[in-house]
This record gives sequence, C-alpha cells and structure tokens, in this order.
Amino acid sequence: MPSIVPTFAWLEGLAWTTALRESPYGYPLIETSHLAFIVLFAGLVIMMDLRLVGLAFTHAPLAVIQRRLFPWQMATFVPSTATGILLFCVDPLRYYRNVLFLAKLVFLALAGLNALAFHLKTYRRAEGWDEDPQVITTARLAGAASLLLWSLTIVCSRLIPNNWFK
Amino acid sequence: MKTKIFLMLLVAAALCAVQPAHAHHAFAAQYDPTKPLTLNGIVTRMEWANPHGWIYMDTKEPGGKVKHWMNETAAPSQLSRHGLKKADFVDGMTATVKGYQGKADPGLANGRTLVLKGGRSFYIGSVGGPNDGAEPK
Repeated sequence: MPSIVPTFAWLEGLAWTTALRESPYGYPLIETSHLAFIVLFAGLVIMMDLRLVGLAFTHAPLAVIQRRLFPWQMATFVPSTATGILLFCVDPLRYYRNVLFLAKLVFLALAGLNALAFHLKTYRRAEGWDEDPQVITTARLAGAASLLLWSLTIVCSRLIPNNWFK
Repeated sequence: MKTKIFLMLLVAAALCAVQPAHAHHAFAAQYDPTKPLTLNGIVTRMEWANPHGWIYMDTKEPGGKVKHWMNETAAPSQLSRHGLKKADFVDGMTATVKGYQGKADPGLANGRTLVLKGGRSFYIGSVGGPNDGAEPK
C-alpha cells in the first residue's frame, strides 16, 4: 500500500502552508476562528439535541426548532471545517501521527453519520410526533448520540496538543 | 431568590476556575517546573513555526557524548514581539537556552531564555510556566 506520508510532506513544504506556519498573525487568526466557529456550531447543535432528548424547548414543534437552527448550524459548520482543513494543511504529518487527532476524525465522522441518518430517515417521518414534547425513541436516541459524539469530538480536539501517545 | 443566589454562586465558582490564559497547551502537562536547566551548545535547526517554535540543539555531555535536545519556544508572533527574527537563527551557531526539563522525554525542554553569541538575550517562553517573563531560577 502506498504511504500517504510523501503526500503530506509535499503539502507541508508548499509555499502557502509554510507561510501560514511561520506567520505572526495568519495562523492565530485561523486558529481563533476555528475555535469560535466550533463553539457556535456546538451550541446550535446542542439546542437541537436537547429538544430531541426532551430536556429543553419541549413545547416548540421540532420542525420549528429545526427550521430556525439548521441554517445557522450550516453557516458555522462550513467555516469551522474550512479553517480546520487549513490548520491540518499547515502541519499534516504532526496531525497524521497524533492518535487523538485520528480519534477526533472518527468521532466527527460518526457524529456526521448520525445526523445524516436522522435527517434522511427518522426526521422524514416526523409528521406524527413533531409536536410531542417527548419524541419517539429513535429520535431521542439520535439526540443523545449526537450529544455524546460531538462532545467526544471536542474533547479529543482539545487534547490534540497534549498528545501523550507519541 | 434561592435560584438567584445559586446562580450567582455558580458564576462566582466559574470565575474562580478561570485560569490564566495558557498558550497552546499547559506547561504543567509536559514540563517539570522543579527541573530548570541550562543548555550550551550548537543550534542544529530552528523551526520558526506555529503554534510554537522549536530550537533543536546538540550539547556535549560530560563524557564527550553528544546529546540532542528539542526546546519548545513561544509562537512566531511572541518571538517577534520579544525582538527575535527568523534570520537570527543560523544552523550551526552556538547559543545558550535556559529552560525546564520535559517530563517524559529526556531530550525535551521548554525554552525560556535564549542567549545568542555576543550576549544578546531574549525571552522565548510561552505563557504558563513558572516565573513567566523571567529566567528560570
């Protein structure tokens, strides 16, 4: 199997990734934006999840919560991911060798799949229970899984720089 | 009323828990504040990089054996603020780094002060270590 390492070494050596890695302001700006967008995104996701598990906004129909939050969730997810990809490009080999970063990617993928499954399957048939304070079990589980997976994603992210497992 | 007092206490507790702004990661997670060290040697390479830089050094052990060190430094923006430039580092130059020993890795250190040939001295540490802004004692 061909190794990905030469590709990452090439990426790391490009003029723009090097410039960003050595920049006094560019990197901190991207890093700060990354964190700020994550905070906003996570907050918006948690609001939806709390409605799903039945802990908050239980008197509002799910459709209303979803309609109001979804555009903002996307508007914060896209820039947080874009800044994240930039940060990765600056130091690809270091992240590739960091098990906490890899764990973060796994949790991120699982959180994404959970959200996708909920929106494409469970939520499609929400007419019957949309206004119920306590929604059906499948939907509540999706909310609980979302809370857990996004939390794990963020915890792993925070621990990346500590990297105990070299 | 009770709820209000509870909330106020909660906020107060949260404020108490706020720690001084750390750099990329906490000093204490990786470095030992009770083990200051001074390295005199040759700078083999300097990574002028975010989120923090690295000064790679070779020092001579008492027996004459060469020991490799990697000293973590603050980010480029902080190094610049303390008067350093990327061009100040030339591979092969001699320098002194004062800092703290890493906890797990014997060749890892947290650089706090850099003294260049000729005596110019710079603070290169990031926030979070003991005696911030000062030399290790």
